[in-house]
Amino acid sequence: MNAHDELDIIAHTRSEVMGQKVPTGENLFLAWGYPTVIILLLEFFALMWWNEDWCVWLWAGIPVIGTPLMIYFLNEDYERTRRRTLDQNVILLMWVFIGFACCVGGFAMGFANVYRQCLFPFIGLMCGMGCFMTGIILHFRPKTICGIIASALSAVPLFFQGDLWPWQLLATAVIVVISLIIPGHLFRRYVRNTYR
Amino acid sequence: MNTFKFPVINPLLHSELRLKVMVALDSLESADFMYLCQITDCTRGNLSVQISILKEAGYLEVSKSGIGRFSRTVCRITRKGHDALHAYEEGLRRLFEQQVPEKEPGEAEIA
Repeated sequence: MNAHDELDIIAHTRSEVMGQKVPTGENLFLAWGYPTVIILLLEFFALMWWNEDWCVWLWAGIPVIGTPLMIYFLNEDYERTRRRTLDQNVILLMWVFIGFACCVGGFAMGFANVYRQCLFPFIGLMCGMGCFMTGIILHFRPKTICGIIASALSAVPLFFQGDLWPWQLLATAVIVVISLIIPGHLFRRYVRNTYR
Repeated sequence: MNTFKFPVINPLLHSELRLKVMVALDSLESADFMYLCQITDCTRGNLSVQISILKEAGYLEVSKSGIGRFSRTVCRITRKGHDALHAYEEGLRRLFEQQVPEKEPGEAEIA
């Protein structure tokens, strides 16, 4: 092999690997979106019915349901493609960071006793930003647009203060539908129609 | 006088199969052994030997995990491997440019 042949091998292998565009993670948005919306609605109705402090702790159900689903779908993706790209890793780490930020932010606001004022706008903004960044990385415009809309709407829960604060949960559920469920279904349909 | 210095060619990467493995892993975060078999179009035994050589050189990290009855081998490139591959590629480019002399401006082609 001379230098020209080896450079050819490098270029050919690189283009072959990069050219195998198989988007993955089409179920991950839905795996987090549906449990989040269901738990937020349960929490809302529990607060309206009982109006007790324990109702707020229902949020713990979101990671309890979402994490196993996420691990299952990640394993399924890996079984199918047998590789993990840098893009996938960046998106995964970004969402893990967002999840931790929401948990840490939630506890911090709980201890500071300001969660009724600003926790849900914060969660809405995080979901919107994550959706926007995912759309940018994947070059999938519907996610980018939904992320912008969700980020803009994340200010809406701020208008429900005082006795109206449980309504922040409903507003956040709408934001989660826009930032996770709608783009999740659109991306799933796009992947299934284009690549399978 | 031409002062071109021949770049030192890394013998570990001067093999088609090892080079393909390194380039594939450099373009990805990690890859399964079966994926590397498919992309390099070689037998499992041969690939296994080459991966061991690259692992011993510190160019690859190999992790094995059991899933059901089967084990999964996942490979990823290390920082040392990434640097070695890019130095190798740079050396090849310099060598290639030396092999193909550039035309002098106004030089006539000999028919």
